[in-house]
Amino acid sequence: MIDDAVGRFLASPGAVGRLVVLFCVGVIVVALAWLYPHSFAQANRTARANARLDWVDRELGGGNSVLPAQGIAVEARGWIPERGTFAVAVGEPRPGWSELAIPASLENYMRYYLLPRKIDPDAPWILCFACDRSAYPGARAVWEDPEQGLAILRRGQ
Amino acid sequence: MTVRALAGVTALNVAYAAVGLALLFGFGALGTRRAALRLAGLGYLVGIAAFGVVWTTLLVVGVPFGAGAIAVSLLALGLAGVAAGRVRGERLERGPPLVPATPSLLVTAAGVALAGLFLEALFRAARLLSLQEYDAWAFWVPKGKAIFFFHGLDEHVFTTTPNASYPPLQPILDAAAFHAIGGADATTLHLQFWFLVVAAIFASAGLLYEHAPAWLLWPPLLLVLVVPRFGERLLAPQADVLLDVLVVVAALLLALWLRDAAGWRLAASAVLLAGAVNTKREGIVFAAGVFAAAFVASRPRRWPSLAAASLAVGLSILPWRIWAERHGISAGAPSSFDSSRLGGALRLSFEVLYSNARWSVLPVIATIALCAAAAWGERRLAAYVGLLGLLLFAGGVWSTVGFPDLAITADESGNPIVRYTGSLILLAAVTTPLLLSSVWRKSRQ
Repeated sequence: MIDDAVGRFLASPGAVGRLVVLFCVGVIVVALAWLYPHSFAQANRTARANARLDWVDRELGGGNSVLPAQGIAVEARGWIPERGTFAVAVGEPRPGWSELAIPASLENYMRYYLLPRKIDPDAPWILCFACDRSAYPGARAVWEDPEQGLAILRRGQ
Repeated sequence: MTVRALAGVTALNVAYAAVGLALLFGFGALGTRRAALRLAGLGYLVGIAAFGVVWTTLLVVGVPFGAGAIAVSLLALGLAGVAAGRVRGERLERGPPLVPATPSLLVTAAGVALAGLFLEALFRAARLLSLQEYDAWAFWVPKGKAIFFFHGLDEHVFTTTPNASYPPLQPILDAAAFHAIGGADATTLHLQFWFLVVAAIFASAGLLYEHAPAWLLWPPLLLVLVVPRFGERLLAPQADVLLDVLVVVAALLLALWLRDAAGWRLAASAVLLAGAVNTKREGIVFAAGVFAAAFVASRPRRWPSLAAASLAVGLSILPWRIWAERHGISAGAPSSFDSSRLGGALRLSFEVLYSNARWSVLPVIATIALCAAAAWGERRLAAYVGLLGLLLFAGGVWSTVGFPDLAITADESGNPIVRYTGSLILLAAVTTPLLLSSVWRKSRQ
């Protein structure tokens, strides 16, 4: 009986086209049956991991992979007024710094994190990442992390 | 995230959908209230594209961006759509049931349930997601923050961030979301992207619903949501998913326009493509590809309307280009053609497109569906989709060849070809149901 049905199906006009359609849908359904539970579980894992983050980790996001320490970003938001400007000065990387802690990445990240504060090479505030402090004579450190070589400098008024 | 932030971003996105539906009413797309429900996802996409294109122009001429101005512009766009519809004599009738009580209702219900379940999980992931992606914090979100804080195209931020030539549509949407949230909260911003994903699925299903049976429609749509590379990056606050969605839904509208010549489809696709060219540089390549494929696959008597739509899309990019030129920002197009890189670029694009680890079986099945449609189905549709796929593929090869500093590698930090290929994968997912249903229908005749 099944042989008859298959025989009739294959003998009917357009059978090959319909077989191709059924094959395509079958393959997609199998792939879906395999991938859907994985992706659904992954989305749940991501949701749980995101919920476990503390406020600073969540707020800094990608900065955790760029900054040598979280403190400089959080402190900079506190010290630099919203209408203020800042410069980013980067020296030789210290051991333990991320490979993303390069001048371009640090400047881009601090621009994002500190907006509406703007970057200006002549700004009164300098975010110093192991920078050469002698380049800023008269600037005093308002915050420092000596272990990582980080500081927030304030140039004279 | 606060309830106020959640309510604000939800209200903004509902407003986008309402404005888009009003514009669709103006184009003569709705007819019935049930059609309005079915096309609400498309309405959302038309809404964000129209809002973004209008605000790109307004920012270029110096109109300040703020909560009041956002509300007024949304209201004005919505009223313009309703007025155009009234002038055309459009009315919203009740219409037949959206999904008639047939066996396909069960498949539709299963598809909606599986999509809904996954989107709910995605919502929980988005709600507290931190901003991780390099491009997002290096330039996309800073530009959005700049529009939010400084109420316009701040010269300092828009000329000194990387990829300064990218148009500002995505940052405009980010800035509007910040106003709705009540602050520049990059965590809650991810919900804006979640709404886009919901609308993309809703729009594709709503458009395909009358043209493909449910058992052909839902499997590819669900699969594209969960394939590894696409599913992991849906919520990244960058413009890639927005660009892919705008281009592919526009391409789908034009595929259906080739069938029925409904003017509203062409108008809506022009709005979406105008949004695409104002989203990323690649948008220009994509839009050119969509129109070129439509010209080749359409009858000459339809060329004038297609030419008018292409012209409108082309003109929409001018305000941003004028602003960019005035500020010394180059177009950022590929600068050279090094033929020695051609072989490597072709191989790379091919390997990325047919990467099972990234996209599962979607590209392979779409290729089979395309060949089947060319052999036994609707040849015009197959020609359009095939040519569009080839043009988009060629665009990816061109970008690798034309930017000598791009490494010939699938590593995303060295070459954006994987992100670029996302548009081809989404195109595969939304056109496969159409191609297969044309084969099924013709094989039964």
